[in-house]
Amino acid sequence: MWLQEISPYTWAAIGTALAIGLSVTGAAWGIFLTGTSLLGAAIKVPRIRAKNLISIIFCEAVAIYGIIMAIIFQGKYSYVENPTAAPLAIFAGFALFWGGVTVGFANLACGVTVGITGSGCALADAQNRTLFVKILVIEIFGSALGLFGVIIGIVMTTSAKFN
Amino acid sequence: MSNPDINPMDGAAASFFGFAGVASALVFACLGASYGTARSGIGVSSMGVMRPDLVMRNIIPVVMAGVIGIYGLIIAVIIATNLTSPNDYTYYKGFAHLGAGLSVGLSGLAAGYAIGVVGDAGVRAVAQQPKLFVGMILIMIFAEALGLYGLIVALILGTKK
Repeated sequence: MWLQEISPYTWAAIGTALAIGLSVTGAAWGIFLTGTSLLGAAIKVPRIRAKNLISIIFCEAVAIYGIIMAIIFQGKYSYVENPTAAPLAIFAGFALFWGGVTVGFANLACGVTVGITGSGCALADAQNRTLFVKILVIEIFGSALGLFGVIIGIVMTTSAKFN
Repeated sequence: MSNPDINPMDGAAASFFGFAGVASALVFACLGASYGTARSGIGVSSMGVMRPDLVMRNIIPVVMAGVIGIYGLIIAVIIATNLTSPNDYTYYKGFAHLGAGLSVGLSGLAAGYAIGVVGDAGVRAVAQQPKLFVGMILIMIFAEALGLYGLIVALILGTKK
């Protein structure tokens, strides 16, 4: 089938790239969503600046998940001659590709969610100090989604070896 | 452990579909859960300004959206732990796992979307009329059941030998 005729290293490399690229996209998206709301609200209510940086840090954590997974994936590469005839190499290529897709898209969704919720948190905190911790609980639920992606990425690729 | 009748090259080719199942289970369920969390979160942030005392009760839509993500995680783990080597994997298992992943994933996406929209409208309504709380919970339970149907089918497909 044409899927196996493409070199497993292609699949693995694209998976690794998607893991880091999409995670960073999610983190960036979340940072700008939260950052704009935080900066706008802080014009009238400067006290919210320091506490609401934690929302930005939650978004950055999503990018950290992505880079950790990409480093783990690239550590699995090793040279095999004639990889399209080696079942273990083909298996590892597919595992790394879909692992990268999983981690990347889960972190993309997580980053956007944390950004939207962080934006709401900053705006609510500006109006009523007591709301900060309550809305932060929602952000924590959101950031769990990125962790799910990391867990599944690890479970998928633990048994992926090129030789 | 490895069955001598199974050709490892077939196992390796079929693993594309198995891993696609794992990815779709987690990614689509996470997309649904993230929409539900974000949309309900916006609603809670808005209504919290008017009624701060009701905020902790109104985090229930967010929890229910998170449960949709857990459904996807469960199926992804079940499939991934059966996908350890190309020597005991078949096209039968590969396509069954793909079906399982797509069923929980797409159901979770739909259920999460519904929970998000209902949660947003619900928490804003509860802020103005607290008697609506039970009604909102009932509607969201029906939406959650949709994700559960996907989980049931995925469990049946994902554990086929």
